[in-house]
Amino acid sequence: MARRLDSATRARRLLALLPMLKQGETIRLAELASAVGCEPAEVAADLATLSMCGVPPFTPYDMIDLAIDGDTVTVYADAPGMDRPLRLTLGEARALGAALDAAGHEPDSPLREKLRLLASKDPSLADLEHTVRASAGPGGLAQTYSLLAAAADCHEKVHIDYYTGSTGRVSERTVQPWALVNRLGVWYLVAFCEAVAEERVFRLDRIFHVKPLGETFEPPDLVPVDVTPGADGLPTATVRFAPGVPAPDTDAWPGSTVRTCDDGSTLVTVPYQTSAWIVRRVMAYLGDVQVIDPPDLRAAVGQAAEDALHTIM
Amino acid sequence: MSAYRLGVVVSEAVERLVNLALYLASSRSARSAHECRAAGLGYPEDQDDTTFNRMFERDKDALRSAGLVIDVVEADNSDAYRIDADATFARLIELDSGERASLKAVATAFIEDPGFPFGHELRSAMAKLGTIGEGGPLATAELAHAASASQGLDARAFAEAVQARKRVAFTYTNAAGEEKRREVDPYGVFFREGSWYLVGRDHTVDEVRTFSIARAREIDVNPARPRTPDFERPEDFDVRRAELLPFQFGSRTFTARIRFIPDMAWRADRLARGRGELQTLPDGSVIWTIEAADVNRLASWIVDHGPGVLAVEPPDLVSRILGGLRAVVDVHG
Repeated sequence: MARRLDSATRARRLLALLPMLKQGETIRLAELASAVGCEPAEVAADLATLSMCGVPPFTPYDMIDLAIDGDTVTVYADAPGMDRPLRLTLGEARALGAALDAAGHEPDSPLREKLRLLASKDPSLADLEHTVRASAGPGGLAQTYSLLAAAADCHEKVHIDYYTGSTGRVSERTVQPWALVNRLGVWYLVAFCEAVAEERVFRLDRIFHVKPLGETFEPPDLVPVDVTPGADGLPTATVRFAPGVPAPDTDAWPGSTVRTCDDGSTLVTVPYQTSAWIVRRVMAYLGDVQVIDPPDLRAAVGQAAEDALHTIM
Repeated sequence: MSAYRLGVVVSEAVERLVNLALYLASSRSARSAHECRAAGLGYPEDQDDTTFNRMFERDKDALRSAGLVIDVVEADNSDAYRIDADATFARLIELDSGERASLKAVATAFIEDPGFPFGHELRSAMAKLGTIGEGGPLATAELAHAASASQGLDARAFAEAVQARKRVAFTYTNAAGEEKRREVDPYGVFFREGSWYLVGRDHTVDEVRTFSIARAREIDVNPARPRTPDFERPEDFDVRRAELLPFQFGSRTFTARIRFIPDMAWRADRLARGRGELQTLPDGSVIWTIEAADVNRLASWIVDHGPGVLAVEPPDLVSRILGGLRAVVDVHG
């Protein structure tokens, strides 16, 4: 159902459409609708309105000349005086800057520099970089992000070097990049990993080398984008937090449940995919957290701490 | 007003706005309000002067908010209007495939994410760039914690107040559960690990403080004189300085040196997040020199990000890690 917009908002959408209507081109309504964020039927109505607009003396030669035919529009003449896109408003520049922050493109990145050329000349623009930040994300991410986004866009396989945080090892893999997913500020790549012939989720900040392979793949019709591992079928650990030590929330320890004991300690039950993951989490509490069960995990934590001591000393 | 009549009125107003934009953009000279009124752009002929002037002012504001820069010049003892083409229209830029794909991916991910405060403007920006069409990489986002997804809206309200430099008041519940009404000059907003934060001068304590936006409610922006700023932001303010790493919270700061072994040297840039200084040694390892304020949390951070990440200085940091690891061995023995 079409949304009812006020005239200023709708006029803004129509003005955004104008530079896309190039003389001699036939464009699909769906493409225009996607560009301005509405339904094809709404774009058809917008185009019908635009065809009624023009400049004095409003002869047929002074009007926006276009014709809608089914799901396409053919443009016979550029809009008078409005054939170039408008500069980005302050709000639009802020939105783009914030979104690119989150993909690791720092304010001094080449892409941000280019986009700055498109922005309003409002002197307040310079303030944005000092007042709004959408990421305190890892450094050096922009190139990884760009390469993976381009590969996912054209369905190209890539070779990656991936650091597995739980084991501390780097592995080389050929993957089919399906989707980029941001959860709580962290970017993940959902991909088909050819080495294990299964779907896998990779944190972008742990991919330190990406090489496009020039070989395409067929993506699945439905890509799963839930990057939080399900607890079904996973082993669970019972972990005791000493009195006064806050238990982690479910974002840090997905699927965990918490029970407070009479002595003020906390028992946390948490599913885990790999023992290496939970070993490192427990070690990071430096003795304030103890694995109760299972016994082999308990032993693995003790052994990992001994190994770490051996490395340091 | 009936829905039909309302639709007709909106349609007429939209046509008038587009006509006015085209008229001003295609005119070689500035046009007076009288010329705009007489040009057949859609202003009702039976309108009195006062009503026309109000409508004309609203129309110019609407076009300005869309990005048209309308200059006012004096002609024949009255104001006339023209589009500043250089300030209004963008030049064409070339984007490479990675840049286009990056833009498409972040836009696809964030436009519909309620945790991202600027989805509406992001969509219109992408429309101007012409980079969203069909296709593009599949991308999604869930930026804010599910339990506080509405903080995207609140972050937007604060960001607007930051931009306009208007004082805000809100009820804030701190980490200890204490609730208090605050009056703050908002200097900046930033995002970190699922949460948006506001940085500003808290008049209750006359200090610059950082507030978790998820803990703020009943947010009021000073409605008086909306176009007049309430305060001056310090000239050297940079919101990035408020984005502290987990071990940088505290009043007793010290300098720490952390070594990334050669195989893990590439991780230094990722984990440093632009903070402190990185120095590559001849053996390929990297030393990160960083200000810290909490030795326990830094020790925990180092162990959590190991192996291959080692404390060098200060000595009590090294001792804390050694003692902590021995304690881990003891409780699991």
